Amino acid sequence: MTALPAPSAAATDAASADAASCLRLEGLGRRIGERVILTDIDLEVAAGECLALLGPSGCGKSTVLRVIAGLDPCDGGRILLAGRDITRQAPARRRVAMVFQSYALYPHLDVERNLTLGMELRGVAPEQRQRDLAAVLELLQLGDLRRRRPAQLSGGQRQRVALARALLRKPELMLLDEPMSNLDAQLREELRPQLRAILSGGRAPAMYVTHDQQEAMGIADRIAVLRQGRLQQCGSPRDLYHHPANLFVAGFIGRPQINLLPQADGTVVAVRPEHLQAMSGGGGLPVRVLSREWHGASQQLLLESAQGQLRWTCDGNQAIGDDLRLGWEPHHEHRFQQSSGRRC
Amino acid sequence: MRAGTRTGLVALLLLWSLGPMLWQLYTSLRTPEALLAGAAGLGGGWTLANYGAVLGGDPPFWRYLLNSSVVGALSTLLTLALAIPCAYALSHRGGLLRWLVGGGLLAAAVFPYVLLFLALLQAARQLGLANNLLALCLPYAGLQLPLAVLLLQAAFAELPGELEESAVLEGFSLWQRLRWILLPLMGPAVVSTGLLVFLFSWNEFPIALTWISRSELLTLAPAMARIAGSSVYTVPYGAFAAATVLGSVPLLALLLLFQRQIVAGLTQGAIKG
Amino acid sequence: MSHLLLMAPALLLLLAVFVWPLLDYAWLSLQAQSVFTGLETVPVGPLNWERLLADGRFWQDAWQTLRFAAASVALELVAGLAIALLLHQRWRGRGVVRSLALLPWALPTTVMALGWRWIFNDPYGPINGLLQGLGLASVPFLASPQLAWMATVMADVWKTTPFVALLLLAGLQMIPNDLYEAFALEGGTPWQGLRRITLPLLRPYVFIVLLFRLAQALGVFDLIAVLTGGGPASSTESLALYAYLNAMRFLDFGYSATVMLGMFLLLLAGAAALLVWRRQAEVRA
Repeated sequence: MTALPAPSAAATDAASADAASCLRLEGLGRRIGERVILTDIDLEVAAGECLALLGPSGCGKSTVLRVIAGLDPCDGGRILLAGRDITRQAPARRRVAMVFQSYALYPHLDVERNLTLGMELRGVAPEQRQRDLAAVLELLQLGDLRRRRPAQLSGGQRQRVALARALLRKPELMLLDEPMSNLDAQLREELRPQLRAILSGGRAPAMYVTHDQQEAMGIADRIAVLRQGRLQQCGSPRDLYHHPANLFVAGFIGRPQINLLPQADGTVVAVRPEHLQAMSGGGGLPVRVLSREWHGASQQLLLESAQGQLRWTCDGNQAIGDDLRLGWEPHHEHRFQQSSGRRC
Repeated sequence: MRAGTRTGLVALLLLWSLGPMLWQLYTSLRTPEALLAGAAGLGGGWTLANYGAVLGGDPPFWRYLLNSSVVGALSTLLTLALAIPCAYALSHRGGLLRWLVGGGLLAAAVFPYVLLFLALLQAARQLGLANNLLALCLPYAGLQLPLAVLLLQAAFAELPGELEESAVLEGFSLWQRLRWILLPLMGPAVVSTGLLVFLFSWNEFPIALTWISRSELLTLAPAMARIAGSSVYTVPYGAFAAATVLGSVPLLALLLLFQRQIVAGLTQGAIKG
Repeated sequence: MSHLLLMAPALLLLLAVFVWPLLDYAWLSLQAQSVFTGLETVPVGPLNWERLLADGRFWQDAWQTLRFAAASVALELVAGLAIALLLHQRWRGRGVVRSLALLPWALPTTVMALGWRWIFNDPYGPINGLLQGLGLASVPFLASPQLAWMATVMADVWKTTPFVALLLLAGLQMIPNDLYEAFALEGGTPWQGLRRITLPLLRPYVFIVLLFRLAQALGVFDLIAVLTGGGPASSTESLALYAYLNAMRFLDFGYSATVMLGMFLLLLAGAAALLVWRRQAEVRA
């Protein structure tokens, strides 16, 4: 879980106080022909802050990055970076660095050349180049790999080189597009704290696209949830978990998925699987155990009830076919409009 | 297929492919008397005099080879210089323009260009380009552009887009991206395209035939035709054969050296076309 | 916009080399420009076109060109497919043989046409030498109207089959081996595999080969100019050679342009027919 849950209000304050180095999107829109990709996205990322863009595939989260970088055109709204309006600027002049999902390392150049070519062509003085290179090689422990070609590197090493190249750009904004998706699960978990330390060590705001909520929660200070090109909610991981703004966020954040219990009055009650508890008395919802998965620290039950299937994370010795009664604390209950999905 | 049958077929294939060339080599080394004696006269009568006659002609035969090499090399450079930017732009475009230009290029690539010679000749005479060896590069580049653009366009399209985007964000200009990132990665495609253009220019006949009349400026193909029609070289064919051998050797060497690249270029053209 | 700028030099040269000549011919075909006009252009209306329609030699050459193209492309396809199948199998030395078999394709046409002229020579060429050695009479390959066109076909097949084989080989290599393995497990014989799997999947490649080779063969010029000069008695003359002779030997530029444009229109009709045929084949499939 996140070490420093910064409430969104506080982050906004920090951002306006330090407008000189923050990113601000105002009503960002993007469409291709008739198809609307992004609608009216408003976001702010403060200096040194990392914001994760989270959403199912095809929700437009990568497009947000590409529009900010200038790789895709912007069809509405403004992009402000460090106080400048960069909406119509050429990508090269935006001083934005991006780590691509494929890393996009130049395959014909060795690690050192991958890192220095950009500096050289940007006209960075040779002594400065050497200093920056040494610093970044040290920071990302790439010293032993400087003569290797990208094809001779492992996935994690490639990711570090891509990150190093982005840092050497000395960007005013760091964009990362699913930088972990090509790594295996264990490596991803190992790299998360490292990446988080590097991103928060820089002064530039960072924006991180992922479809993996674990990763978003582990790396980002705040998370923006996107669905079909629209911003659903933006807040700290804790915020999203405990106060989802709508049904979609409630269902998207948290694994196993939240339980939804439709009510007669057109609302839906949502309770997280770990917040259900067995009732010893006569009250509660009668359920029967359908199946069970044992996960070591806990177990996961699939239950049948009059209001549909439920998931319950618990410990205990329930067996398939057992009849139980379940309840929850009132403050663990979320209630949404069935029709609009909005929180009541 | 049984190994024996296969060996037989391979032998047949090699005999068919190489036989005529080997026969030229054989003929070029025989004396006229030996050739006139026909198949019965195998053995005896070997000579290098045929090569002496061809190389000692006016102009000497190597002059044609030199002319063809110069025209071939310059045409290749000119074609690549024009085709690379065009292919780059085409690979970054979608929609109607790409469809139109792509279709036009394919039509032009299969067009029997010999039909164009008269108009090109008249234009060359008006512009004072006749009997100018270097001016041949212009029609040659124009004629090979369709194939070159199609091949290079396919190669550009194969590069992952993120590589170039990454370079854009690093602040590279278009020229820097081409020079440092895209062209180095397309090396094989550029080489194979260049080789195909070179082969074409080296072998081209009707335009060289009509543009060039001064014998010291002739390229190989029209020179061979002139040799074929001249009375200096009479039957038997010893001198003809020496000329065909000398005219073949450079290209055969080129093909054997760059076989892999040429094959890659040809087959890529087929796959993308 | 900048993309158009990058394309502009190439597109301008293409327009100058491919489009302008055709426009020029369209104009020139309505002019008389020959020794009779002192090589000045004189507008004559559709006179050249009327002459073309009534020109027996043009239609004779059109037939001869078509005969040459159909025969050589058909032979090249069959031989090319056989060679491609042979080179597609795995055996030692395959790479070397592939290089050697490609050699004829790289030779300048005029060089190899001269070589074939010697091979077909009567009576000193090797073929006739062989026939005489067997006690047979020598054959005047290039002096007989019945045989000379076949000689041109043979020389063309020799030069171009490697190219066809190479393209078809590329097509064969695109067919995944799994298909043959699955087919064999279902009890198919290799011969059935060729008919049911290889040939249908090779169709797009065959189409490309047909397109390129037919266009080239219909425009045949170098080979015939050097091997036979169009003779004997114009029996091997192609349309391109006829157009060339009209301009460069008879110095009748107006009519030469008409011949070329007429040939272009015939090609266009042929290409349209090929496309329609392919579309119908696709619809049937």
